[in-house]
Parts: sequence; structure tokens; C-alpha cells
Amino acid sequence: MSATLVPEAASASSTMRRNFWRGVWRVMRRKPSRMAGVLILIGFVLMAVVGPMLLPEHLPGDTNAITQPPSWEHWFGTDPQGRDVLSLVISGSRYVLLTAAVTALITVVVGTGIGLFSGFKRGRWDTVLMRVTDMKLTIPGLPLLLVLATVWQFGSPLQMGLVLGLLGWGGVARAVRSQTLSLRERGFIEAARGLGLSTTHIIGRELLPSMAPYIAMNMLISVTGAVYAQVGLFFLGVLPYESDNWGVMLNLAVFQAGAMITPSALGYLLAPLLAILLLTLGIVLVVDAMDEIFNPRLREE
Amino acid sequence: MTLITRRLAGHLARGLVMILVVATITFFIVNNIPGDPMAARYEKLIEGGMSPEAAKQAVKVLYGFQPDGSMWQQYTDYLSGLFRLDLGVSVTRPGTPVLEVLGEAAKWTVLPVLAGTLLSFLVGIILGVFAAIKRTGKLGDALAISGSLLHGIPQYVLAMLLVVIFATLIPILPADGSVDILFEPGFNAGYLGSLAEHAVLPVLTYALSAYGGWILAMKSSVVTVLGDDFILAAELRGVKRSIVFRYIARNAILPLFTLLALSLGLLLGGAVFIEKIFNYPGLGWLLIGSVQDRDYALMSGAFLLITAATIVANIVADLFYTVIDPRVRGGEGAS
Amino acid sequence: MKRLAAVVALLGLATTTAACSGGSTNTPGSGGGGGGGGGGLFTTIDVTRPGLEATAPANPYNPKGNSFVGYNAMRIAWVKNHLTDPNQATPGIAASWEIAPDNSSITLKLQPNAKWSDGQPVTADDVRMSIGIAYTQGSTAFSITPGAAGAAADVEVVDPQTLKITQDMANPSPKFARGVLDTTVLPAHVWSSVLPTDFWDKLKSARGEGGDAEKAREEVTALGEKVIAFAPPKDVSAGPFVLERVNPSEALLVKNKNFFNAANVAPAQVKFLNYTGNEQIWNYLTQGKLDQAGFTATPSDVMKRIEAASGNEVIRGYSPVAVGMAFNQSKKPYDNVHVRRGLAYLIDREQVTKVASPEGGTAAATTSGIHQKAAQAWIPETVPQLEPYKPDVAKAEEEFKKAGLAKKDGKWTLADGSAWKVSMHAPSGFSDWLAAQENIKSQLVTAGVDAEVVTTADYPLYLQELAAGKYDVGFWLMALGPAPYDIFQRLYGASNGWTNVGNKVSHSAAGKNGNWMGGSEEIEVGGEKVNPGELTGKLNSVGAEEAKPIMAQLALAANQDLPVIQLWDYVNTQFVNNNRFTGWPHDDELLRGGGNVLMSGVWIQQGLIKAKQ
Repeated sequence: MSATLVPEAASASSTMRRNFWRGVWRVMRRKPSRMAGVLILIGFVLMAVVGPMLLPEHLPGDTNAITQPPSWEHWFGTDPQGRDVLSLVISGSRYVLLTAAVTALITVVVGTGIGLFSGFKRGRWDTVLMRVTDMKLTIPGLPLLLVLATVWQFGSPLQMGLVLGLLGWGGVARAVRSQTLSLRERGFIEAARGLGLSTTHIIGRELLPSMAPYIAMNMLISVTGAVYAQVGLFFLGVLPYESDNWGVMLNLAVFQAGAMITPSALGYLLAPLLAILLLTLGIVLVVDAMDEIFNPRLREE
Repeated sequence: MTLITRRLAGHLARGLVMILVVATITFFIVNNIPGDPMAARYEKLIEGGMSPEAAKQAVKVLYGFQPDGSMWQQYTDYLSGLFRLDLGVSVTRPGTPVLEVLGEAAKWTVLPVLAGTLLSFLVGIILGVFAAIKRTGKLGDALAISGSLLHGIPQYVLAMLLVVIFATLIPILPADGSVDILFEPGFNAGYLGSLAEHAVLPVLTYALSAYGGWILAMKSSVVTVLGDDFILAAELRGVKRSIVFRYIARNAILPLFTLLALSLGLLLGGAVFIEKIFNYPGLGWLLIGSVQDRDYALMSGAFLLITAATIVANIVADLFYTVIDPRVRGGEGAS
Repeated sequence: MKRLAAVVALLGLATTTAACSGGSTNTPGSGGGGGGGGGGLFTTIDVTRPGLEATAPANPYNPKGNSFVGYNAMRIAWVKNHLTDPNQATPGIAASWEIAPDNSSITLKLQPNAKWSDGQPVTADDVRMSIGIAYTQGSTAFSITPGAAGAAADVEVVDPQTLKITQDMANPSPKFARGVLDTTVLPAHVWSSVLPTDFWDKLKSARGEGGDAEKAREEVTALGEKVIAFAPPKDVSAGPFVLERVNPSEALLVKNKNFFNAANVAPAQVKFLNYTGNEQIWNYLTQGKLDQAGFTATPSDVMKRIEAASGNEVIRGYSPVAVGMAFNQSKKPYDNVHVRRGLAYLIDREQVTKVASPEGGTAAATTSGIHQKAAQAWIPETVPQLEPYKPDVAKAEEEFKKAGLAKKDGKWTLADGSAWKVSMHAPSGFSDWLAAQENIKSQLVTAGVDAEVVTTADYPLYLQELAAGKYDVGFWLMALGPAPYDIFQRLYGASNGWTNVGNKVSHSAAGKNGNWMGGSEEIEVGGEKVNPGELTGKLNSVGAEEAKPIMAQLALAANQDLPVIQLWDYVNTQFVNNNRFTGWPHDDELLRGGGNVLMSGVWIQQGLIKAKQ
């Protein structure tokens, strides 16, 4: 159901670029909720970058306050080692952001590359590449990750980002290809060729900028999926881990602290859950705004 | 019609190739898996009080169930077994063919997935129409955002929240198991009631996590249809609203059936979290269990079955698309 | 707006009706067996085997078999975990037995009224065939491994009620009788097809020497696979219950009317609930669903909830298991005994136990290789001589300095100045071990020793990587009593280089043949060089009195050399519910049987458990 959002049409890129930021501002202003979405995302980035710096390297535990319910001192209670849950969520956000960044990079580079190549060359290459993409999109991702995890314990953020990125470029590749084809159909590329522009110029200066928003949007969607898959894998406990990781927190809350049974451990379970919910909300609001900026059909003018 | 059969043949051929590729990949992954299931069993046995020698002997017998021979030999054996639907024998369940174990588990996945998907489909498309018609108002906006949010929330978050609410804080629903064994299986009220009771939370999770997607899909589909010339013409000519509405509904829903088939396939693979959290004994639950037990045969079998289901769903979706979309049907022209 | 509300209401309605229909069946579900009154449904879990398998046969030798030892699988007798005598047991299919004073033979007298659930009598021939099947699987007494200690030489049917089993006195074991008694009994009229007619001849040649014997042994082992895969068309049980049906979440057993003590069996039905993780057991217990559950590691908050549930009672008893923090002595600096001692002084075991296993463990008094309760019974004079390793930072620093470690900027470094990080491994899902390691990590970090906890995805992988020497430090189950050899072979057995084949002990170098601990072959104990592996090997064949001085020596060796730091001794925490059934035993030996037995089944068949009136 994660339908990739393929924009209906792309108007000539230059005019669009000029009006782009003005459009962004207009869309943002009309619905304050979208502003909130952007703020949430910025907040998460700040939390991941700055948060861990403010916390000690090893969070102090208090064996006299194991698995405590939320209190003024500990907003989300303490974990089974007596550590502050909120601090764990904050220091865990770095892992989430780091994997997300690696995944995003790989998704964009590989996805755009393959999509462009495929759309540009067409013919046999296109068929082969799209068959591969189809296949990748067909193999269910999570079960594949589970099976993969048995051979390779890709626990570190870089490895995790690599795996998720290599499994996640399909959506972006499809979107970029269909964009390229549609621009092609309109004689856009032929016209540029006629003007004597080189292929690199056409791709770098004309095609990519006009496609950037769609790439960004599809990237955001696949990265979101990757973040969830990552937290989920840790929750299932099939990878080696460190304790300040959201998925691990969920795992320990359920399987070690008995959060589904004792209310005192609920904070430990709810804190990462709420973090994920908030992150989802932020992303949804931002994608919603992007959707309206880039999808003329939904533009209510 | 010949076109459809030709398409079907092509799909089947490609599907088979893909299953072969996936089977090969799984075979080689599985053959490189570290971890010793026998050592774990040995530890369990002596922990339970068996003497070390006896435990060693008991474990040695189990080794007999593992395939031996060269890698190539094992690979060809595996593939030829596959054609006979023989997926090997599981290490943790020696003596029971993997296919039988999978069949038992598949039952428990298909039922709630079907129920959850259909429920979410019905609710989603109804709300989607509203979201499209009222897309400029507050209601449409709220629906769209709630749809995106529910669509975006990972299933495991929803599932855990539901357990916390309905099984921990207000314990009214079971979050454990499939059906009470006291009831004789069959068409009796007790058995079916117990079945339904245990399925409520998993089905609700499937439905909640999917219906957001349906709202969004239906909304965009309706928006597309609303832009058709027919609507414009009809509005200009003052055709009855009910006729217009029927036109919108019919043309907007059709493309969604394709998605429905696709999502059924995808959900089979996505069931891992829901089944783990609700301890619902389906395919995903089996897969995660086999990964944790390092049960090679079972793991590759479960993965293959899930993939095959997705491939079949894709073929069905594509054929459906062929049937309903006149452009794809080719040359027959829009009627 | 109105329409939306209607749709939402509709959705809500759908949910509530589903919930209601669920609610109404719930009542007959739990009350159907007459839960409150006289002897209805008994609900429990099979604590020895997580995960029910609906497609598995009712075969006690199948790892997932729907055969629950003590319920629908019977043994000759139910061996106990007596502190010092391994041959004590509660009667099962055998009503009584006589062990020859020199352990050379055991004569079994079967229950006179024992019948299978299909009405056929249980005879000595059934037992003999069961012994044959035990040979294919390998057991302590019925082993075809050449030279195995405590193996039987002959099985003789004296009369339909009596059997005599003699031990091969070439290599006797004090545990021989235990090995015989701990044998599952199967119906010959159902199972006889599994064994070929010339089975006993084959067995005879397998016990010999030479090529023929080798071939015969292979054939017998191959039969083992056939036995495991055998699926009886329906369950035929000599136990108090017989299997009715299974689904992936629950198994139902009904009372066996032909059971010899059926009159005193209180429950009419038994339901086994499925579980794959401890949290599910906690959940059943807090809901008061289970009438009995065996040991489950439980955090103290959850324990409070469990104890608060109506009728629940927690019985604590002895459990001959301890857990230790084991070192890979091939890795620096753990090859240095002073480093290990220093760590032992640094780690506050009380605190570790409090965090990790507050209800299921007692902090180890010291490292001795033996459970503290068993140590008091076996070697009471030696216990006070052991260094207790009480938390003492000064002593720890002294030991570290002796090892040549240096403290720089408040952090301990290796002798060559490089960083030192204690890297501990545990399998994910072992919640108590992980909690313990996290706590040790923070204790060490506080004391200036850098540390980390690394989890391994699952137990099979953990064991393989541990055995391959990939970890510096890991957790290791130890002190697995009651037999002295079983206790010490965890420290001075195969994992530390000593393999025992036919009571001949040989030593392999570190990193070879599963030797991952890599301790030295000889260690100094009180100024005297000993070979702990050979001492341990001796325990396999000597009687109780001879064993004591050897055990004292080994305890001292373990205490001084510290191949592991013993952290806590497990407590056998059992959960029972008094609302539906009463009569729960509180006697240690009845609480925890040996040999993967579900003791609640044994209590029920003994007539101990009574339905609440």
C-alpha cells in the first residue's frame, strides 16, 4: 500500500524554481499544522545531534529505583537498571537519525541513478532494471531482513543504513524513471538537445532540479519505512544491541520489564512509542505539505 | 481473451523464475547461517537435569535430520524437493514435514489478514469519498491527516498500544493465542466465538493500520474521477446527483481492487509484528520463531511461502488491472 | 459531519459486538471445566519446552512432541534432585525397586494395576521395549558408546511384573540406578514396529568391539531418527492423562480412566498453554489463569502483581543451578588470575542479583563451583576456608596492580598502556542475564573499568560463538547437580579442555575441541599442583564418600583460580494457585525433579493435589 507518489506532471522547471519558495511559504502559512510538522522534524534532528552531548556517556543507574513509574524527577520513569527513560530516548535518537541519514543517502543515489539511467536509455536496459526493481519491491522486506539478520548481524548504524538503503531504493527509482519518461514524452529532452545542451547539463541542471522535490518526497517515505523497520528489528531482538536504542527499549520493556503487565513499566514502553508517533506525525505533516506543493491536482487554487 | 491468457502465461513464467531466484538466495543464506541449534538443545537438556552424556547422545540423534553432502548436491536436492513441494524436515520439529507445519500456520495468518483487510477496505473507501468531496473543508483535511497518520504509524506501535489499552489497562480482550482448546473445533457457537474473541485485537490492528491507506488511495482516486469531463458535462446538464455519485463511486473504486490484491500479499509478510505481539500462531510468528531457533528448513520454507504469496498477489492484481482498464486491454477502445 | 459520526459509530459498533461475542464465550471457557468446584480443569504450562506444535506427534522423544512428562508420558520412576544421593526417586510405573549394595543391578517391581489408556496392561515387556528405544536415543544407563560409565550390561524380564537390569561393572557409575529409573515407558503394542525384530542381537554386537560393532552402532543410532519421527495414530498413555487435541496455542489432555491411581487424580482435564517468552507466562500468572507453573525468571514488579492475583502462591525451593561470569582465558588480560580476582572483588553480587534475579536467585556466597546449599551438604568443612570475595575496591586495586594493570586518569588500562574494556556477551531474550550484565557494566564503569554489554541474537548463536572463543566474557550455567561429576564438569569439562570418553580424561589445548575457557591444565591449590579436569573425571565413578574430598579440592581450586565468577545460585520459584486446587507440596525434593519432568504431573498422579471443595 505504500504507493509511491508520482506527480502528475512537471511544468517547465525554471519557472517552477522561481515560484518554488514562494509556493512553499504560501502552503506553509495556510495551514499552521504543517509548520508544526517542520518544527517537529527540526526538533528531532536537534535532539539527535545535541541531546547526547548533554548526557553522560554512561547513563547513571540507580539500583534503588528500578522500573519506576513516571514522576517529576523522571518524566517517563526509569528502566530496569534505574536509568532515566527520557534520557535513553534522547540518546537513542542519534542511532535513528544516523541510520536514517545513511539510508537516505543510499536510497537517493542508487534510486535516482537507476531511475534516470532506465528512463534515459529505455529499451532493453530499462526492461532489465525495472524487472529487478519490480522483484525487489515484490520480495517482502521485513521477512527478508529477518532472514538476512541470521547471516549478518548488521547492528551498527552504518551497516543498518546500508542494508536498509540497498533494500529501499525501489520506490525512488520508479518515481524518477516515470518522471524522466514523462519529461521525455513532452519532448523536453529533445528540445534541450536541440539547443545544443550536453547530457550532463540536461540531467544536472534541468532534470534533477525539477525532480528534486519528488525525489525528496519519495525518499522521506522510504526512509520512514526504513526507520520503522530498524526499530522493529531491534524490537524483535534479532540483532545485537546497545541499550539506548528505541527498538531495544521496546524489546526490553515488553520482554524484560513486563510492560504489558505492570503499569510501573508502562513509561518505559510508552516513551519510545510516543517518540515514534511524534516522528510519524512530523513526517506526515511535512509530506502533506510537499504533496500539495508538488502535486498540482491537489492544489486548491 | 487470448491477450489475457498470454499475459497470465507471461506472469506465471516470471513468477516461477522469481520463486526460483528467491529459493536460491534463501538456500545460500540459510547455508551460511551461523549458530548451532543442537548446542542450544544440549544446554536446555542438561539444564533440565539430564546428565551430560545422555544429552550429548540425544543431540547426536537429531543431527541425523540435517542434510549432508556437498553444497551443490544439497542445492539440487533442495530444488528437486521444491518441485515435489517437499521443503525438507525441520530441526526443531523432526519428523514433521515443513509443509505441514507451514500449512497449519498459514491458516492462522490468512483468516485475520482477510478479515482485517476487508474491514479496513470498506471503512476506508467510504471515508475516502468524504475526504475527496470535502477536501477543501476541515473535515476532509482531518480525514486526510488522520489517514496519513494511521497509514504512517508502524503496525507494532498500534499493536502494542492496543494491548496496553485492551489487555492491560482495561482487560476485556485476550492478547494471547488463537482459540480456546476446550471447544471442539467445528461450526459450534463456542468454538467460533472463541475464535472471534481471540482475533479481535489482531484484526483491529490490521484494519486500523490499513484503513488510513485506503482513505488516501480512495481520496486521490475520487479526485481523479472528479476531474473527468463526464462530471463537468453532467453538472452543466444538471444530471441527477445520485447518477453522478454512482459514476464517481464505480470508477474510483475499480482501480482500488488492484491495490486490494496487492495489499493482501504484502500483509502476509507484514504479519510478523502483529503475530509476535499478540502471540498469534501464524506464518510471521513461525518465521520469527524459526529465526530464533536457527531452524533452517522452517525459516526458508516460511520465507518462500510468504514471498510466493506476494508474487501471486501481484499477478492477480495485474490481471485484474488488465481486465478493468480498457487501455491496457488494448485496442478494444473505451466503451 | 453527521455522516462521519455515523461511520465512526458503525466502526465502533462492529468492534463492540465482536468484543461482546467474545465476552460471552469467555464465561463457559474458563468455567466450562467447573473451575471453581470439584476437580475440573487444571491449567499449566510446559516450562521445559516453549512453543506448542499442533502438528507434532504424541511422542516423548520428539523435541516438540505432544507428550508431557508426568501427564501423558510415564517414566519408570521420577528421580529427585536430592542434595547428595542421585538414586532417590518417587515411584512411577515401577511401584518399588531394589538396588544392589554395590550398584551392580537394580530390580524393578511394576505397579500391579498399571494399564494403558486403551485398557491393555503395562507389562515388563513394555518396559523392556522402552529400554530398547532408550538405547536408540542414548541415555545414561542405556548407552552404546564404548566404555561409557554406568551403562547397563543386561536387561532381564523375570516375570510380567519384574525386571532386573545389571550394570556393566567394567566401568561402573554411582548414578546407574538413576539412569535406569529415568526411562520413559512406551506401549509395546503401539511402538514395537519401530524396532526391528533382531534389535537385541544388534544391540549385543554394538556393545562389542571391531568393525561389526561399529556398523551395529550406526544402525542403532539410525533407528534413533525413526523413533523421533514416529507418530502413533493416537496417544496411548500409561499416565494419569491422555492427549485429546492440540492447537498452536493450547493442548488439551483428559483423564486416563485406566490409570492405576485414577481414583486419586483430581483434575478431569488438563490444559497446557503455549508460550514463547517469559512475558507470556507472567501475563497468564497475573490473570490467575495458571494452576501451576514452574520456574520462570521474573522481575520483582511483575512478581508483586503475580502475588497480588487471587489465589496465587509462590513456593521457593532448591534448584541445583547457578550462573557464573565465565572468562575466556586465551584473551588478555583474563589469562591473569589477579585480573579475575580483582573483578571478583569489584562486582557486588548482591546488587547484581537484586537487579537481575531478585526472586529467582540468591547471590552466590562465593565462587565454589557448587550451589551454596549443595556445598553445605557435601563439603561443610571446606566452605569457611573459601575466600568470600566480598566487594572491596582496595583489594581489587591491589589485585589489578599485581596483574600489572595501571590506572590512568581514573581508568584502568592494560599493562602495555592500551585501553581495557570488559566486553560481556549474553543472548537476547535471557532477560535476567542481560540485566545482570548491564548492572555489572555500570558497577565496573564506576570503578574505572570500561565495560560493554553485547547481545547475541539467540541462544544457539550465543553458544556457538562462545564455544568458538569469540567472546571475552560470557555467562555460563554451572553447578548443575545433584551428581558431583555433573556439578564440576561445567567448569572443568569439555568447555575447559577436558574430554571424558569412557572415563578416560584427555586434555585439549585452548581453542581446540570446544575448549573456549582455556584455563591451565594444572593449577596450584594451597601450594599443591592439581589437574582439576582429571579430578572431575574421577567424580564420575566414585561413591559419595570418596567424592567429598575431591569436591573439596575442586571447590578450593575454583575459588582460587576463578575460571568463572559465580554470581547467583538459582532459587526454584514455583507458582501455584489455591483457588481451584490445593495440596501443593513445599518439600524441596518434590518441587524439582530431575530429567526434564513436569513435577506437577507427578504430584497429581501421586494424589497430592486435591480439588478445592
